[in-house]
Amino acid sequence: MLKKILIANRGEIAVRIINACKEMSIPSVAVFSTVDRPALHVQMADEAYCIGNPPPLESYLNIDRIIQVTKESGSDAIHPGYGFLAENPVFCARCEKEGIVFIGPNSKAMKLVGDKVASRQTMTQAKIPIIPGMMSSGKEVKGFKEAAEKIGYPVMIKASAGGGGKGMRIIHSPDELDKGLEAGMREAKSAFGDESVYLERYIENPRHVEFQVLADNCGNVVHLCERECSIQRRHQKIVEETPSCALDEKLREKMGEVAKQVIKVSGYNNAGTVEFLLDQNMNFYFLEVNARLQVEHPITELVTGIDLVKQQIRIASGEKLSFTQEQIKQRGHAIECRIYAEDPENNFFPSSGKILFMKEPQGPGIRHDCGIYSGFDVSVYYDPILSKVVAWGETREDARKRMIQALSNYIILGIKTPIEFLGSIMNHPEFIAGNTQTNFIDMNMSDWKENKGEKRYIHEAIMAAGISSQNKSKSRRTTAKEDMPNPWLTVGKWSLSGS
Amino acid sequence: MEQEFTIDDKVYKLGIEHKDGRYHINIDSRNYIIDYTSISDNCFSLLIDNKAITVYHSEANGKKYLSIEGEQFCIQEAKTESIRAGEADSAALHEAPTICSPMPGKVVKISVKEGDEVEKGQGLVIVEAMKMENEIKSPIKGRVEKVNFKAGDLVDARQAIIEIKPETKTVAK
Repeated sequence: MLKKILIANRGEIAVRIINACKEMSIPSVAVFSTVDRPALHVQMADEAYCIGNPPPLESYLNIDRIIQVTKESGSDAIHPGYGFLAENPVFCARCEKEGIVFIGPNSKAMKLVGDKVASRQTMTQAKIPIIPGMMSSGKEVKGFKEAAEKIGYPVMIKASAGGGGKGMRIIHSPDELDKGLEAGMREAKSAFGDESVYLERYIENPRHVEFQVLADNCGNVVHLCERECSIQRRHQKIVEETPSCALDEKLREKMGEVAKQVIKVSGYNNAGTVEFLLDQNMNFYFLEVNARLQVEHPITELVTGIDLVKQQIRIASGEKLSFTQEQIKQRGHAIECRIYAEDPENNFFPSSGKILFMKEPQGPGIRHDCGIYSGFDVSVYYDPILSKVVAWGETREDARKRMIQALSNYIILGIKTPIEFLGSIMNHPEFIAGNTQTNFIDMNMSDWKENKGEKRYIHEAIMAAGISSQNKSKSRRTTAKEDMPNPWLTVGKWSLSGS
Repeated sequence: MEQEFTIDDKVYKLGIEHKDGRYHINIDSRNYIIDYTSISDNCFSLLIDNKAITVYHSEANGKKYLSIEGEQFCIQEAKTESIRAGEADSAALHEAPTICSPMPGKVVKISVKEGDEVEKGQGLVIVEAMKMENEIKSPIKGRVEKVNFKAGDLVDARQAIIEIKPETKTVAK
């Protein structure tokens, strides 16, 4: 088993991984940028090291510094979390070279699946269905026009090194292409350090269905069923659930087998996710492999009872999988809502600042993966994910009701969050009916701000404000006037008994 | 006692009195009797005509942040008439609306230059914040008066990146 694990990440995912380490009695090491000194992951880890200034390139993406701290702290493994260096094959290969266990896939497989274009070629050879599109990428705007004509509009611009919606653009007509490519390349460059993009046919109103896979170092591969992540804004998931309303047992088995095949042909090991698009006729297309622990991994954990982070650590330690495909069963239904620091009334623009007050959601079947607390300052430097609320229930309806309950008693004051917006999604008739396609937000929620109308508790809010103002001025008057003698000041010196 | 509060620029008046251990409040010509109990620094419980309401609250920069039954409110105590009039005067002096980033970030691209005519809704500047590009669009039709930043610059929230003069001159008072 691994001796000591350094977590090269921050926020809720670093906290999640530290928790798994604690449960396995493995010491954990946090790293932090100067602005993150008060962050939760730093408080929770057994040891913590400052690795540089707030900009990611100077801290969480600083490979040399992270390797140095790994050695300095005597850690024998690194868990990269998601984002930052998680899918960087250079970092992964460096760990291999330095004799540090990278808790994730081997660098060769990571390189293959991380290069979207190369993996499209590999999958085509293995007869795995992919979305029609370019089989090579480019760094300059010219040349794309012909490719787009050949594929047929609308087309999707995608970052070759990409993921997480960064660099992605839908292009409906030729005159949008150049501007879209420019922005897509710039965003890809800034997010991944590589501006290469390629085009794919845009599939209208698909569902986004992905399969969680575990592969040990001895060639055993299992899938832990699907997650449906169709509800997205800015091509980024905000609500995920499992099982998917669209899959029956037969399709689940078929897609699961293809997912395992994708992992095998890529020579992939550890935890990974195989993403598919499912069109309206139930045809599915391989999209990509996410070579990391996913943000939405908790819903799989809740329905399968398998702790994915602990499995990752066991696999990285060289252990064989302790269960077979037949032993994996889905039980009940789980839904996750992501809480970002953002304003759903203003195009989901990121919101930063101090969290004045926070009260965590709770209740039966509720899990809260969280990287924040009352008084925490949300920095502008990093991905604005704050926490995730996950609800489990015996049926989808039970999980949905529990989620509504959890969201309505989840309080974050001082910054904007989509908590109310997510509550509206949970209550939307189309969500209740399971009609979740990737255009869900555009179709059903675009007029959310206008339609939600006057708030229901506006009188109560005004009255509460009035009462709190009165109390404030009253307490100011009393503290000024009455300087009550403090009993603690009059008791005299304390002495320890026996001294 | 009379009090005024604003939510999203809308003004609400309320009459509030404390007698016999309860608050008597009049708002939009409706009367409420309220029992108040403090739970913690950030929480109090109200029984509004016996209806139980839990209020979570905090304050920063003169604004009250409230959460009631899952709804969020940002409430400002309204200023007196004379202060309001004074502010209106000084606001009138700055007739060019300024384009600000709603949060600190990095200017990635400025799509216009001084003197350009812009349409309402036209993209003016792209700001990168939290690794996402966000395009800020013109709120009005007009002419670009001033560009205060260039690509690569860091901006703070509410710092004017661009100033725009409305197309039709505002009528002098």
